[in-house]
Amino acid sequence: MKKNTLSLLVTGLAFVSILASCSKKESTNNITPVIPPSHPIAAGNISGFVKGTLLTGSTYTITADLTVKKGDTLAAQPGAIVVIKNDAQININGVLQVLGSQNNPVTFDSDSQQPGSWGGFACDSAQAVTIKWAHVNNTGGPDPSGDPRKSVSVAVAINVDIEDSWFTNGQDDLMGIKLAHVTILRNTIQSSGSTDGEAINLKAGVTGDVAYNVIYNQAGSGVKLETSSSVPFPQTVVNVYNNTMVANGWRRGAAEPGRGVSVGVNAIGHIYNNLMVNNYQGVDIFPDGDTKNTTYGNNLFYASAATFTDNANVVINLAANFYPSDGVGTAQTSDVISKDPLFVSFDGSFIKPNGAANPYDFHVKTGSPAIGKGNATYNADIGAYTSDGKGNKH
Amino acid sequence: MVKKLYFFILLIFSTTIVCAQNATLRGQITNTKTRERLQGATVRFDEEKHAVITDENGNYILSVAAGEYKIKVKYVGYAEFEKKIKLSPGQTVVLNITMEQKEENLQAVSVFGRLDKESEAAGRTAEKDANNITNVVTAKVMERSPDINAANVLSRVSGVTIQRNTGGSEAYAMIRGLEPRYNNTLINGVKVTSPDEKSRYVSLDVVPSDLLQKIEVSKSLLPEMEGDAIGGTINMVFKDAPDTMLIKANAQIGYSQIFLDRKFQSFSTADISSKSPLAINGDDYKAQPGDFSRSNLDFKQKTALPSAVAGLTYGNRYLDGKLGIMIADNYQNQYFGTNSQFNPVVANPQDDFKPGITDFSNLTYSNHQINNGLAVHADYIIDKRNKILFNNVFLYSYLAQARLGIDTAIVGGNGGRNGPGTGTVTDDNRSLVQKELLENFKLEGKHILSKHLLFDWAGVFSVSTKKMPDEADISINHLIKTDFTSTPDYFDGITHTWQHNNDKDEDGIANLTYKGKINDHTLELKVGGLYRHKDRFNEQDQYQLKPLAGADGGKQIYTGIENASWSVYNAKGTADYDVNNYTAFEDITAGYAEFKLSLNKLDIFGGVREENTSQGFDYATFIPTAENAVRKNYTDVLPSLQLNYKLNAKTNIRASYFKSLSRPNYYELVPYNIQGTNGTSETGNPNLKHATADNFDLRYELYPKDDEQLFISGFYKKLYDPIELELTGFGGGDITYKPTNIAPEATIEGVELVYTKYFGRIGVSANYAYIYSNVTSLKDFPDTTQKNTAVGKLESRPLQGQTKNSANASLMYRDGAHKVFVQLAYQYIGTTLSQVYNNYGYDYYHQPQSFLALSGEKGVGKHFTLFGKFNNLLNTPTTTTINNITVGRDIYKANYNIGLRYVN
Repeated sequence: MKKNTLSLLVTGLAFVSILASCSKKESTNNITPVIPPSHPIAAGNISGFVKGTLLTGSTYTITADLTVKKGDTLAAQPGAIVVIKNDAQININGVLQVLGSQNNPVTFDSDSQQPGSWGGFACDSAQAVTIKWAHVNNTGGPDPSGDPRKSVSVAVAINVDIEDSWFTNGQDDLMGIKLAHVTILRNTIQSSGSTDGEAINLKAGVTGDVAYNVIYNQAGSGVKLETSSSVPFPQTVVNVYNNTMVANGWRRGAAEPGRGVSVGVNAIGHIYNNLMVNNYQGVDIFPDGDTKNTTYGNNLFYASAATFTDNANVVINLAANFYPSDGVGTAQTSDVISKDPLFVSFDGSFIKPNGAANPYDFHVKTGSPAIGKGNATYNADIGAYTSDGKGNKH
Repeated sequence: MVKKLYFFILLIFSTTIVCAQNATLRGQITNTKTRERLQGATVRFDEEKHAVITDENGNYILSVAAGEYKIKVKYVGYAEFEKKIKLSPGQTVVLNITMEQKEENLQAVSVFGRLDKESEAAGRTAEKDANNITNVVTAKVMERSPDINAANVLSRVSGVTIQRNTGGSEAYAMIRGLEPRYNNTLINGVKVTSPDEKSRYVSLDVVPSDLLQKIEVSKSLLPEMEGDAIGGTINMVFKDAPDTMLIKANAQIGYSQIFLDRKFQSFSTADISSKSPLAINGDDYKAQPGDFSRSNLDFKQKTALPSAVAGLTYGNRYLDGKLGIMIADNYQNQYFGTNSQFNPVVANPQDDFKPGITDFSNLTYSNHQINNGLAVHADYIIDKRNKILFNNVFLYSYLAQARLGIDTAIVGGNGGRNGPGTGTVTDDNRSLVQKELLENFKLEGKHILSKHLLFDWAGVFSVSTKKMPDEADISINHLIKTDFTSTPDYFDGITHTWQHNNDKDEDGIANLTYKGKINDHTLELKVGGLYRHKDRFNEQDQYQLKPLAGADGGKQIYTGIENASWSVYNAKGTADYDVNNYTAFEDITAGYAEFKLSLNKLDIFGGVREENTSQGFDYATFIPTAENAVRKNYTDVLPSLQLNYKLNAKTNIRASYFKSLSRPNYYELVPYNIQGTNGTSETGNPNLKHATADNFDLRYELYPKDDEQLFISGFYKKLYDPIELELTGFGGGDITYKPTNIAPEATIEGVELVYTKYFGRIGVSANYAYIYSNVTSLKDFPDTTQKNTAVGKLESRPLQGQTKNSANASLMYRDGAHKVFVQLAYQYIGTTLSQVYNNYGYDYYHQPQSFLALSGEKGVGKHFTLFGKFNNLLNTPTTTTINNITVGRDIYKANYNIGLRYVN
């Protein structure tokens, strides 16, 4: 009895469990309601004071300076296309929220598609700036005083979040940012600046991270860190890691060579895991920087030739410029020096014009000396394309 | 009507036998009571047009054909003297005359009267008889002093210092240590427009001193005077028509030591286009590389020509003396230069945040300036009661300036410097040509309505323009590497700027004066008003030329301007939306009422003035990110009370209180950066408030003789909302200053001494000013507890521009008989706060300066005087320091001039 009872119990349990397994799992079908965007902006010409959302699949033409007032937001949905005419610029005194997607980025470009043919985002007194998955091309046209304008300029202590975007063929600085907290990740910045301009110019108390960016063929430096020369506080403190910087700093000439990364004027940089190939100069820690608190290492330096001779017959010893003699930085034992990183494709060129095409693939092949040589605090690998998939997605 | 008063004649006949037909009459003219020698009295024979004016000792000499004459002597404020005299051939007659001062009479003094306003004694008389506290510099003093323009003259007045720009081509007056903004500058009593885009007032160095009859510096204001002067008012009075024909001419040449020591940098102005490419070709034009000249950027080393100055003055009266005409022209063609060093500093975080140098910058200026001033005065006496005056001042100034600069960045920039003599060196060379025109037309009338009433009016039309065609600036750089080898020069860009502005001013002024008596005391009542409309426009068009890429796509090598190639970066120019394109206006309506009661020994003078100001500003194009249309409106009530106690005939004690204001300049309201040189820029402030002040003065005046004086004065001023330039940090990476009411109030107190005395032939003139000012404002202080931050800390300091000690001393030698006059002038300016620094404990200071100048003249024959003026003999530099670091040094070197003067 005791045994029967037991087997019955077991059989019953088994039956119930079979029944249970046959019963349908509860499913919640969450029908996402289509939330209409705030203040949808109708396709066509826009200028003056504007707020609202640039819509997926719509094309907009900015015919004159556009201004987003304080408290207002200009948002962009994936796939919105914005064409800028008449050297206009976008003034953001409120919130900028450009949210493209990997498959459907947002595009900002001028009608002429020539370098330096529109103003860019003047966010000097913005309340927040977010740019994700967007193309920002051909900025840097002259401002009212005839000076070139930045792709994105910020001069206020806000959050600036620029991720997964392309900045192509601008003039002067691409990102000129002061005071803000920055998250600049996985962007591609290429062929910008005619005879001057940095790709990422961070000054006057900027904090945050610059990582996994690819910077190619910039006239001046890739990343420049400074505290304001007239206002010593707050200091600029930025982590610069896992960026790939190729062929930068040539167009500004030998009198003011461009660097992969420079740290000057009381700024603090933490510079690790960057991959630097064919730059005029590599990592330059100027004596006026906060040299005591600046740290660096695990950077890979490579030049595809021993020397380069510019049109003034200035012969540049490339290996000597990895840590140039005018700075106080020196090669670290963790650095990888003069080893070919084995890019998937690169022609080994040095100087190219503003607006040159970038047909190259700066992923590294298997067996690259960049793999596994990184400072693990940041990433096990060196460069913007890492084997853990955290890197650049372009 | 006025009866001839007592006079006393002393006639001494002395006969000399000379074989000549002519007779000579000479003598001395003095005040009957005081025995003062009267300089500037007119002595004439009735039938003869010829007249002479007594010299500084009251002496005169006349040479005429023998015969019988009626001699007449006139001196303003004195009874006319008349006497018949017979002169035989070859006779020399000495006739000493004493004259009796007339009872003060409205008709004589206020309307038709005229002293010899150019003499030194007249200056003293003007100071003595003024209703307020003044210092007067007369033409005679200017003629003899080493100064050729109003700026130099004013620097010798007690409590006045001159602020110059680095190029040495602009000069504005600071009175009692107050910045030029706190003072106003008048021509013939009315404000003049300024061709400068930054200043309200005309630069004093374009006003030739030879055109001036006198300069009055008023340190206290009467209600009848415009109220926007906290430091004081400078009134440049141009020459007036004389009673008899006057012809004066002078010519001088000079050279500056600086061009004996280095070459003059010159450039060609031949290819300078007066208009910008867009202005020539229309709005749709796109500027091409070929539209821009090269020759004005081709700097050549030359030997400077000598400077030349020439002046001609003619005056006479026509239509039986009813119409007086005075025409004076002065031409100056000068070459002068500056060698300047400027090293900006910032707080160095690696050295406990003490100021450290960021750049080494050397600038050499070579200036060629041509000034021409033409003053025309006419007065027409309709009848004994009505007079019309016409004054026109026309000034033209041309300046061609080359500025060659060499700059090495030590901190920041794209440099990289780890030792002296290395780093990126930028050559910044600029040429500019500037033409300024100023026209000031004034028509005024004086009408005696009745025995007691005087009505006077004036209409003023004033216009000034400045054109700066094609200011061109080229930047070239090279790198001195750590092994001291240099890269070649790279071409870094060119800027061409066309600028033009115009300032117009229309004034209407009317005053009504009552003069009568109450119980034998003179009472004067005066009411009046002023309306002024002022407007201004400023236009700018700027082009940036970017170097084309070099052979390999890199930076272009610079091998000379002829080979440089560029593209036009902003082909449309900046004219359409340049923020320097603006229109501005200012309307002032003012009215006042005042009284003067002369008791036996005490003059009481008081009243109140009300000024309403409406100021505003518009951009040519709407700029969405900034305040566009700025409008301000305010009314100030300005009371004034002056007491003058005449202790005796030679001593006055004065006390005064007045309230005054200082208005912001037009451009200071505009919220935009005006880019300066040397990496500093200035940004406007629409919230800037106008400053006001309570002013208290006390002065003791002693006039032992009519050309001797002793003044002792003290003053106290309390300023509300003083305007200073505040360092607001970075703006586009530059050091930016903003006019701000930094502190809510400031106090200034001081003591001044003025002393002039003659010991026979040797005279001493000295003045000294001690000024203490106090401003308390917040500054940055490194936080000791929390690293990486700064806290605000209050610091007391002097007001910007303040000099604690300033002194002038002149030693004069005059020998009337031999017509010799020599003056050695010494000037001392103590430590001056030149700019406010943002960190606690530090400010920029000008170091003490001592200047020495020598001038002399010698009469040759009857009409000619030979003179020499030698300036800055000690080669005194202007040195600026902060934290014991020399950050600026301007060197001008000595200047030598000799010349000849003719007087009929």
